[in-house]
Amino acid sequence: MHIPDAFIPMGQALAYWVIALIFIVLALRWARNSMGEEKVPLVAVLAAGIFAMQAFNIPVPWGTTGHLLGAALAAIVLGSPYAGIFVLTLVLLVQGIIFGDGGITVMGANIINMGVVGGFIGYYGYTALNGVMNNAYIAAFIAAWASVFVSALLCAVELAIAGTFPLVLGLVSMGMYHAVIGLIEGGITAVALYLIAAARPDILERPAGVAA
Amino acid sequence: MIDDLYAIEKSAYRDSVIHRLDARVKLIIALAGIVAIVAMPYSTRVYELGAVLFAFFIVLWFCSRLSPLVYLQRLLFILPFGIFLIGFQIFVKNKYYDIFHPIATLPFGIEIYAESVEFASILFVKFIVSVSFIILLSSTTKMQDLLEASGRLGLPREFILPLGMMVRYIFVFAETFGKIRSAMDARCFDPFDRNLPYRYRLRQLGYTIGMFFIRSYEQGERTYTSMLCRGYGEGAHLHIRSRPLGLGEASFFAGALAFIVLSTILIYLRP
Repeated sequence: MHIPDAFIPMGQALAYWVIALIFIVLALRWARNSMGEEKVPLVAVLAAGIFAMQAFNIPVPWGTTGHLLGAALAAIVLGSPYAGIFVLTLVLLVQGIIFGDGGITVMGANIINMGVVGGFIGYYGYTALNGVMNNAYIAAFIAAWASVFVSALLCAVELAIAGTFPLVLGLVSMGMYHAVIGLIEGGITAVALYLIAAARPDILERPAGVAA
Repeated sequence: MIDDLYAIEKSAYRDSVIHRLDARVKLIIALAGIVAIVAMPYSTRVYELGAVLFAFFIVLWFCSRLSPLVYLQRLLFILPFGIFLIGFQIFVKNKYYDIFHPIATLPFGIEIYAESVEFASILFVKFIVSVSFIILLSSTTKMQDLLEASGRLGLPREFILPLGMMVRYIFVFAETFGKIRSAMDARCFDPFDRNLPYRYRLRQLGYTIGMFFIRSYEQGERTYTSMLCRGYGEGAHLHIRSRPLGLGEASFFAGALAFIVLSTILIYLRP
């Protein structure tokens, strides 16, 4: 899902950067107001942890692999969609500049896809579904699945607007592929949330199982 | 990705005229190269600019005294990220050409177009030049230097401190990742083993990642406690020394930037 440089023309890449910057500023505001001094080291190591978690290749049934995004998990655990944006921005910066995984000019688009969409859908999907179903783990599963699925569809739309991948084919292939990866992301997010709630419930900003 | 962490940092700790350059200079030159090649419209002029910028990259790589194998290994690692999208282009029409001429017909009526092949090659040139500058930057600059350079160039301090700590802890987690993988191997657990039930594999990976999350959080708690012991408090920020550019660095920076900008403009404006 990391779009490389050259696949989105400069004008469009700049437009995505402007949109991403708006959310980055909001995430910075969250960091200033809600991320107390005690949370700075925690957010930093969580970012490193998510970076490492993305290194885990997950087998997808028909023989390919995917990796966890972690935006939904970060947003749910830290209790804000802006936490997801903040953490994913750090991760994407390091991935793009050190590893070449995801481009520099298209980093705005990647932050929108994975950080903004992942964080917002992950967090608000989780809180809304948890309120309705009163089951934190099913809510986390669906929210994490939706965050991956919608991110992938948005990525396909961006590539289609750029003219570097056909829209219908992109939506179908990215949609199908990430609908499966999303199931895995959802499953792992729910299991990880269960483990955190069981082992360290104090970590969670809102206790799992309690509607927000 | 995480396996390459040590190799990249090992390259960055070597010594050469490029390694010694101020990280701000390398960062801006790399970004300028990437922006230049991406900004060039999708046309055959990309070949010319790509050749110029790649030649410039080769000169810089030669000056860095790093083996070409280091570059090729890193390139092979990055290529899969874009090569699928590039390869797929030859089978589809795109909005950058008006007329498409089929040059081959495959089974099921799939056609390969001359214009699509050209477009794929343009994307390939842009992609290779972009990742080459990133490889050069990260292979010749320590992560800590890149962080300080970002701070000097105005990255918000809310990002600098967590980013600095994140960079340090990536190495801690790389080791933890290795240990977890060894533990999985020791128990003969292979997440890709199709003989194991899929649900079981998923649950094991979920526990592993949840455990990873908890470990990272607990590492953060220990870090916070030790930082408090060293006087950390509200308003604390990472100290970045001011470092003016030397005359040689400033000259190289001006020359390299002028070369990239002028090459791009001249190739773009050429009739």
